[in-house]
Amino acid sequence: MLLTLDLNDARPLHEQVAGAIRRAIGEGSYRPGDRLPPARDLAAALGINPNTVLRALRDLRDEGLLEFRRGRGVSVARRADGRALLVQRARELLDEAKKYGYSREDLITIVEELT
Amino acid sequence: MRARVVAVVWWLAVAAALLLGPLALRDRLPDPMATHWGTSGAVPDGSNSVTVHVITTVILWTGLWLLFLLLGRARDRRAARVTSYAGMAASGVLLLGADASTLAVNLDAPSWRATLLPGWHVPLVIAAAAVAGSLVGYLGRGAPDEQSSRDAAPPALRLRAGQRAVWVSRVDNRWLAAVSALALAGVAVTGALTILGVTSGGLVPRLLPGFAIVLVAALAGSALSVRAGDDAVTIGFGPLGWPARRIPLSKVESAWCERLTPGEVGGWGFRGLPGRATIMLRGGECLVLRYRSGGRLAISIDDAERGASLINALIAERVPS
Repeated sequence: MLLTLDLNDARPLHEQVAGAIRRAIGEGSYRPGDRLPPARDLAAALGINPNTVLRALRDLRDEGLLEFRRGRGVSVARRADGRALLVQRARELLDEAKKYGYSREDLITIVEELT
Repeated sequence: MRARVVAVVWWLAVAAALLLGPLALRDRLPDPMATHWGTSGAVPDGSNSVTVHVITTVILWTGLWLLFLLLGRARDRRAARVTSYAGMAASGVLLLGADASTLAVNLDAPSWRATLLPGWHVPLVIAAAAVAGSLVGYLGRGAPDEQSSRDAAPPALRLRAGQRAVWVSRVDNRWLAAVSALALAGVAVTGALTILGVTSGGLVPRLLPGFAIVLVAALAGSALSVRAGDDAVTIGFGPLGWPARRIPLSKVESAWCERLTPGEVGGWGFRGLPGRATIMLRGGECLVLRYRSGGRLAISIDDAERGASLINALIAERVPS
């Protein structure tokens, strides 16, 4: 599972981790039924507290993306929702636009100009 | 498909010969008949009834045939095909030859002790088996393997500035997990018996170290986790990811994904010598790291393509070379 975090992101860390896991599932590296690596491994790789990862996993379970099974760990319940992924990408796009000095309205104009 | 049919026909033919040969000659064989000759020379040192001899040879043949059939499952690999065909042919000819030799010396003998094995039988049978194995293996070698992705450009990924990227993956081997559970039970039982002094001396205390070694080895091989990020690739052995081995990315030249089978690397577990080692828990997708020093390390792991692309990106963009 490939996870990417933006170091300049101001959102809470568990939201960022949830976003990274959602993106990894959306990119197709995990299919429904596949087991996720243990939260401990993910936390160790990201260098963060395991509880933060567990909180992100619980958020994704509440969203219906993951399911927790006793003894079998965490597995993917269904494909990532297209809209949830789009919202996430749009937010990233907005952040990047702000970095270059474009406002939300400018970005909307750019999207409207696309055919 | 055709190869499978030939294999089944070969099994049937050899099994029929092993079954019908002794039964047809039953009236002319001593019962019990001589079935084993020691290293001392031509005098027999083992005997069996004709029925037991027939059953033993047919079971032995079926076992060997099944083994070589299973070894040839990866039919797209030349090494697997040659091993399978050559093994089936050689073991069939070996058993047929040994059976023919056994029947020939037992034929019309008054009792099994009176049979004498001429010195040329054994070398002849072994030579015939070797020739049959080589010939069939050569004929069945088929087209050479397709070139693996080794020559293709290694996968890569674009990293954005200010982005932290890590890759985590894991592979489990359920068989070894089951073996370690059994070994743990063995350690518990033999340990308790030894401590309680139920069996002082004897076999039980001597089994304890054996179970302990199996437990440690099976646990180490029952799971494998790999993570890549920042400046290192870390391999964790066992379900707890400990002991772990850390490979700094500054020592790695490139990474790629390759499909390897246990047959190619010499089996399951830790294989090969340092510089060309493989950590093989299951056949299939493997992450291969090439060291700057020239060696390489292959690790059987899921999602290896993505891991390789991140490692290549980290080497290219983050690690000062």
